[in-house]
Amino acid sequence: MNNAPTIRDAVQARLAKRHRAEMRFQFYGLAAISAAVLFLAVLLGSIIIQSIPAFTAHRLVLDVEIRPEIADPRGDGSEASLRRGSYNTLIQNSLRDQFPEAGSVGELRELFGLYSAVNAARLLNEVVNNPEVLGETLPFSLPISDDADLYLKGLTTDEEFLPGAAPLTLEPGMDDALTLRSQTGAPVFDVFLDLVQARQDAALDQARIRAERTAARAAEELDTDTRNSLEAEAQRARDLVQALQEARSDTGPVRLNSQTASLMLRAQGGVLRINALARDGLSAEGTWLVGPDTASQTAQDWSLWVIETPSIARRITDRQIVWARTLKERGLIKNGLNTTLFTNADSREPELAGVAGALAGSILTMVITMLLAVPIGVGAAIYLEEFAPKNRLTDFIEVNINNLAAVPSIVFGLLGLAVFINLFGFPRSAPLVGGMVLALMTLPTVIISARAALKAVPPSIREAALGVGASRTQAVFHHVLPLAMPGILTGSIIGLAQALGETAPLLMIGMVAFIADPPTLGLSGFTEPATVMPVQIYIWSSSAERAFEARTAAAILALLTLLVSFNAVAIYLRRRFERRW
Amino acid sequence: MQSSLFAVLALLVLTAVGFLIGRRRAVAAGSGRASRLHSLPNYYGYYLALWTGLPAFVLLALYGLFGASLVNTLALGELEREAAPLIREYEAQLARDDQYQALAEETQQIEAEALSARNEMFRAEREGGDAERYLRALGALTAQRNEIAAERQVRRDQVASSVAARAPRTIPGVRARAGFEYWRAPSERRELFIADARALAFNEGLASRNTEEIRAAALALRPWEDLFRWSAAGVALALSVAGLAYARTRIRASFRARDRVEGVVGLALMMTSAIAILTTLGIVFSLLFESIRFFASIDWRIHEFLFGLHWSPQIAIRADQVGQSGAFGAVPLFAGTALITLIAMLVAAPIGLMAAIYLSEYASPRLRAWAKPALEILAGVPTVVYGFFALLTVGPFLRQFAMMLGYEDAVTQSALSAGLVMGVMIIPFVSSLSDDVINAVPQTLRDGSYAMGATKSETVRHVVFPAALPGIVGALLLAVSRAVGETMIVVMAAGQGANLTANPLESVTTITVQIVMLLTGDQEFDSPKTLSAFALGLVLFVMTLILNIIALRVVQRFRERYE
Amino acid sequence: MTLDFPIDNPPTRYHPLTTQLPIKVATEDVSVRYGGKLALEDVTLEIPDRAVTACIGPSGCGKSTFLRCVNRMNDTIDTARVSGSIRIDSEEVNGRDVDPVVLRARVGMVFQKPNPFPKSIYENVAYGPRIHGLAETKAELDHIVETSLIKAGLWAEVADRLHHPGTSLSGGQQQRLVIARAIAVNPEVILMDEPCSALDPIATARIEELIDEMRENYSLIIVTHSMAQAARVSQMTAFFHLGKLVEYGPTEEIFTNPLDQRTQDYITGRFG
Repeated sequence: MNNAPTIRDAVQARLAKRHRAEMRFQFYGLAAISAAVLFLAVLLGSIIIQSIPAFTAHRLVLDVEIRPEIADPRGDGSEASLRRGSYNTLIQNSLRDQFPEAGSVGELRELFGLYSAVNAARLLNEVVNNPEVLGETLPFSLPISDDADLYLKGLTTDEEFLPGAAPLTLEPGMDDALTLRSQTGAPVFDVFLDLVQARQDAALDQARIRAERTAARAAEELDTDTRNSLEAEAQRARDLVQALQEARSDTGPVRLNSQTASLMLRAQGGVLRINALARDGLSAEGTWLVGPDTASQTAQDWSLWVIETPSIARRITDRQIVWARTLKERGLIKNGLNTTLFTNADSREPELAGVAGALAGSILTMVITMLLAVPIGVGAAIYLEEFAPKNRLTDFIEVNINNLAAVPSIVFGLLGLAVFINLFGFPRSAPLVGGMVLALMTLPTVIISARAALKAVPPSIREAALGVGASRTQAVFHHVLPLAMPGILTGSIIGLAQALGETAPLLMIGMVAFIADPPTLGLSGFTEPATVMPVQIYIWSSSAERAFEARTAAAILALLTLLVSFNAVAIYLRRRFERRW
Repeated sequence: MQSSLFAVLALLVLTAVGFLIGRRRAVAAGSGRASRLHSLPNYYGYYLALWTGLPAFVLLALYGLFGASLVNTLALGELEREAAPLIREYEAQLARDDQYQALAEETQQIEAEALSARNEMFRAEREGGDAERYLRALGALTAQRNEIAAERQVRRDQVASSVAARAPRTIPGVRARAGFEYWRAPSERRELFIADARALAFNEGLASRNTEEIRAAALALRPWEDLFRWSAAGVALALSVAGLAYARTRIRASFRARDRVEGVVGLALMMTSAIAILTTLGIVFSLLFESIRFFASIDWRIHEFLFGLHWSPQIAIRADQVGQSGAFGAVPLFAGTALITLIAMLVAAPIGLMAAIYLSEYASPRLRAWAKPALEILAGVPTVVYGFFALLTVGPFLRQFAMMLGYEDAVTQSALSAGLVMGVMIIPFVSSLSDDVINAVPQTLRDGSYAMGATKSETVRHVVFPAALPGIVGALLLAVSRAVGETMIVVMAAGQGANLTANPLESVTTITVQIVMLLTGDQEFDSPKTLSAFALGLVLFVMTLILNIIALRVVQRFRERYE
Repeated sequence: MTLDFPIDNPPTRYHPLTTQLPIKVATEDVSVRYGGKLALEDVTLEIPDRAVTACIGPSGCGKSTFLRCVNRMNDTIDTARVSGSIRIDSEEVNGRDVDPVVLRARVGMVFQKPNPFPKSIYENVAYGPRIHGLAETKAELDHIVETSLIKAGLWAEVADRLHHPGTSLSGGQQQRLVIARAIAVNPEVILMDEPCSALDPIATARIEELIDEMRENYSLIIVTHSMAQAARVSQMTAFFHLGKLVEYGPTEEIFTNPLDQRTQDYITGRFG
C-alpha cells in the first residue's frame, strides 16, 4: 500500500505547470477588471477632454450707438415703435466702424457672419426696457459665432507666425493690390514657398499611390461594373497626378487659392492678404484686409502669418480669421466663462445653445415620475409582501414584474405613444406623458427594491404588533413600513436616477423636438412641449456644427453630475439608516 | 379652469367636514366613551371622508382624462354636420373634374406597374436575376407617383377652396367652412386645428394660426366645454353630499368602521399591484393592435415581413398601399441586431464573467472596495453617453485603425463600434448577475475541492463554474435580451443602412434603430410606415420576453437548488 | 459548574502512551487566531499512524480548528493566523516552502455535510487523480475510481450508475462518495470533521464500520460530537476545552480513567 512517495512525486512533477495555470487564470481575472476600469477611465476621460472647450466662450463687446432713427422708426418712443426697430443694423454699424475696409456685399456678409443676428433680440429687449438709452452709446456683449470661437481657441485652424527677414517696399499696383518687394534681395518669402512645395509634393505622392492602388484593384476585380468604376477612379487619380506635376514645373508666380494654405502679412499695424508670390521668394502681391496706420512705402518691422489649414477645409474665411484676431488684439473680444451654456435653452446657433431648457424639462418629467412610481411601487410592494395570498394570481403578478424589469425601454415608449397619446389624446412632447412612461418603466425597480426592504424587516416586528391587537394594516403602516423606509427610499432614488438617464422611450413620444423656450417650472409646464437632458445630448450629438461636440460633452458632464448626486444621496441614506437585524 | 378648481376645493372641504362629522357621530354613538365603539373614532371619520370624497374625485379624474376629447368630438362633430352640404358639393365636383380623374387614372396605372415591377424583383431575387434594376425602376415609379400625388393634392385644394368660397360670410357659413376644413384635414392637421381652437377658446397656450374658421371652431367648443365642466362639477358635488348623507346613517357603536376603511386601503394596494399587469396588457394589446393594422395594410403577407430581404419603407408606392411594394422585409434588421448582439456578448461575456470570478474568489477586500463601485458607475452611465462615446471616440478610432490595416471602405458608424461599446455597457450587468450566482455556490463545495489539493483556479473551473453554470447561462440570456433591446448606442453609432452583411466594419441597422427612425420626425400615424414600427416593437417584445422568461426560470431553478 | 479545579492555565495531561504504533503527525505549540481572537492555544500532541484519533470536546472548543491546521485549510480564511509547528513524518507542514497543494494531496479531508461536486459519481472520485495527474490512461483512472469506491464500500451500490450525478445519492451514500473521493489520491492522513453529524443512525453505523476498516491503511483524525462514537471507533482520544488540549491518551484510558476533572465532567455528561 505504501506507494505514497510515488504519488508525491507525481503531484510534484505537475506542480509548476499547475501553478503557472493558476497565475494565468488570475491574470485573466485581473485583466478583465482592469479592462472594465480602463473603459470607464477612457469613457470619462474622453468626455472630459472633449468638453473643455465648451466651458469658455469668446464674447465680443461692442459700443453700440442706439441711433433713434433706426431703433425707433416711428419716432414716438412707444414700445410698439421700439419693437419695430432694426437692432441688428445697429450692431452691424458698430462692427463696420471697426473695419471700414470691408465694403462689398460679400465682405460685409463675412463680417456679420462673426456673430448671430439672433443676438439683436436681446438688444431690443434692453432698449424696450430702458427707452431712455435712445441716442446713447451702449456697451453690448454678445457671443461670437461658434466657428470664430473655435478658431480663437486654436481648435480648427493650424497657423504659424514668422518674423519678417528683411525690410520690404510696398508699391501700389492694380486696383487695391500692392506689390511687396524684398529691399535687400533676400528671399523673404521662401519659408512659405517651401511649405507650399512640401504640400504639393505630399499631394502628388498621395495621388500616385492612389492611382496605382485603384489600378491594381481594378485589374483584380471580376465584376464588370465595379471594375469600370475602379478604372474611372484610377484615371481620375492619374489626371490629378498630371495636373500636379504640371503645377510643379510651372515657373510663373504661385497663386494662392482655397486649396492652398493662406498667407497674411502684418505690417504698419494692418494685415495684408498675399494673393500671389514670385517663385524666387523675392516679391509678392497682396491686398489690405485691415488697413495700415501709416501710408509709408517701406515696412521695416513686419511678420508673416501662415494659416496652414486651407480655407476649403475650414468653416471660417481668411477675412473672418483676420478680423477675429484683430478684434481680439483690440481687446473687443474676450475669452470668459461660458455662462450661456447653463442659462439658455436650445438654439440652432451653438454659441447661444444651453441646457437650461432641457434641465427644466428633466425636472418636470422627474416630478411626474416620482409622484407616480414611488407611491404605486411602494403600494404594490406592500400588497405583494404583506397582504397578497399566495396563489396563482400573485405568482403571475410576480413573474410579470420581474419580466417588466427586463423589457427594453423603447417598448415602454411605444406603449406611451399608442396608449397615452393616441388613445387618451394627451399632448405630445409633454413632460406629463414622458413622466408617465418613465414611471411605468421605473415601477418594477421600485417594487423589487421596496419588497426587498420589507422582507428585511424581521417577522418578529409584525408578530409583536399583531400580538398587542393591532390589525394587519396597522402593523404594516405603523411598524413595518417606517422600518423599511430607508431601503425603499434608496431603491426609489436609484430607480429615478435610471429614469433620469433614459432616452429611447422619450423619443417615441416626441420629446425630441427642438425647444427654444424652456418650459415654465409650474403647473402649466407639465403639458408644454419640452425635452430632457439625455434627449438634448442626443439632439446635439447629431448636429453638424463642430462646436456642438464640446457642448454635448459638457451636457453629458452636467447629466453625470446629476446622476452622481442622486446616487450619492442614495448611498448616504443607506449608510445613515442601514440596520442589520 | 377656475370652476374645476372651485369644485376640487369644495370637495376637499366636504371631505374634511365628512371626517369631522364621522368622528363626532361615533363619539356620540359610543356616548362619549371610545371603548364602547368597535373602532377608534378616527376610523369613523375616515369612513365618512372616503364616502364623501372618493366617488366624487374619481368622477373628476375621469372628466380630466376624457372630458377634453369628448368636448372636441362633440363640438367638431357638430361643425362637420353643418359642413355636410359643402362636403357633398366638394365630392361631386371632384368626381366631375376631368383633370383630377385623369390624375387618378394615372396613379392607378403607375401602381399597377409598380406591382408588376415588385413581383419581377422578387422573381429576380429568387432566380438570381438583376433585382437591382427593378429596385431602381421602383424608385423611379415612386418618384413619379409622388409627383402625381402632389398634383392631385393641389387640384383637391383648388376644388376645396372654390367650394369653400361659395359658403356665405355669415356665421353659419363660417361654421360650415370650419367643419369642412376639419373634415378635409389629415389626422395630424386635425390635432393642430383642435389645439389652435382650444388655444383661442380657453387660453391654453398660443395658437399657431388665427383664422375665421378657427375662431368659429373655438366658439363652437365653448358651450360644450361649459356644459361638461359645470355638470361634472355639479354631479361631483351631488355625489359627495349623497355619499356623506348615506354613510352618516350607518354609523353606530357596533359598526366596524376600521374593517371598512382597511378594506378600502387593501383594495387600493391591490390596484397598485394590478398596474404591473395592466402595463403588460397595455404593451401586448397596443403592440398587437397596431401590428394587426400593419399586417392588414400589407395584405397579411406576414411571411414577407418576417423573411423578406429588403427593408426600405421609404420607397412606398402609395401612402395606403406601401406594403405592396415589398419594402418591409425585416431580415436585414434581425441580422443587424444579431451581429451587434454577438459582438457585444463577445466583449461582455468573457470580461464580465472573469471580473465576477476575480472579484468573488481572488480580490482583496481593498480591491473589491474600488472595483465594485467602478463597475456600478459603468452600469449607471446613461446609454446616450455610451452612444456619444461610440460615435465620436470609438467609431473614428476603429475607422482609422481599419484604414491603417489597409481596409479602405471603413466607415465611422459600424456594427463593430456599436457592438464594442454595447459590450462595455453590458459588462457590469453580466458581472453583477454572475457575482450573485457565484456567491450562491455553497462554500462547502469550494472547501471540498481545496481539501483535495486543488488550486484556486482548478476549483473555480472544475467545481464553482459547473455548479454556477445554470445561473450564469441565465445571466447571459438576460444580457442578450438587454443587448437586443438597447436603443441609443445603435441609433447613434451603428448607422442606418439596412445592409444584409456579416462584415462588422460595415454599417448595419437594428430593430430598435428602425423603430426610432420610423417614429421620430414627421409622421402620419396611420401610414403603414409608422405602423410597421409597432410590428417591429412586437417582434422585439416577443423576443425579449422569451429570453427573459427562460432566463428568469433558469436562475430561479438554480437558486432553489442551493437554498 | 466546573470550578473545582485550578483556573490558572493547567498544563495538558498526557496518559502514558500504550500504543506501539509509530507516530504520523506531531504538533507542537500550535495556536490559531481568527482576527484578534485566540481560537486554539498551544496544542502539542502526537498522532499515531494506522489508527483513529478522535478529537472531542464541547462546541467551540477548537477541535475543528485544530483539524483544519493539519491540511492548512485555515489558509483559505483571510483572517486566520496559525503559529507553532506541525510535522507529518517529521516534515514541517507550516513551512514557507511547503505547497498546500502537495500537502492536501497527502492529507485528505471529509466534511460535516456531504459535499459531492455537481458532477457524476465517476467524475467526483476521478477529480483528485485528474487534477494531480495520477493516471496516465483512461484504464488507470477507471481502476483508481473502482478501487476507491470499493474501499469506501460504495461500489456495489453505484457500479451500474457511475455517470449519474453525485447529488442523486442518499446522504450516507454521498458521505461515502466523499470518502472515496478523498482516498482516490491515496493520502497518508485523512481528516474527518464530524462526518456523521448530518446522517441517520443506520448510515452512521455504516460510516463507522468504514472508518474502522480504513484504520488498516491510514492515519485518521476524526472530530466528533458523540462520545459514544469516539469510544467505538478511536484508539486515541484528545479532549479539547476552550481552545486548549486538556487531556490526550488512549481512548480506553480517557473514558475509564481520566486524569483531569474537566474530562471527567465532560464524559459523564455534566457539561457539553
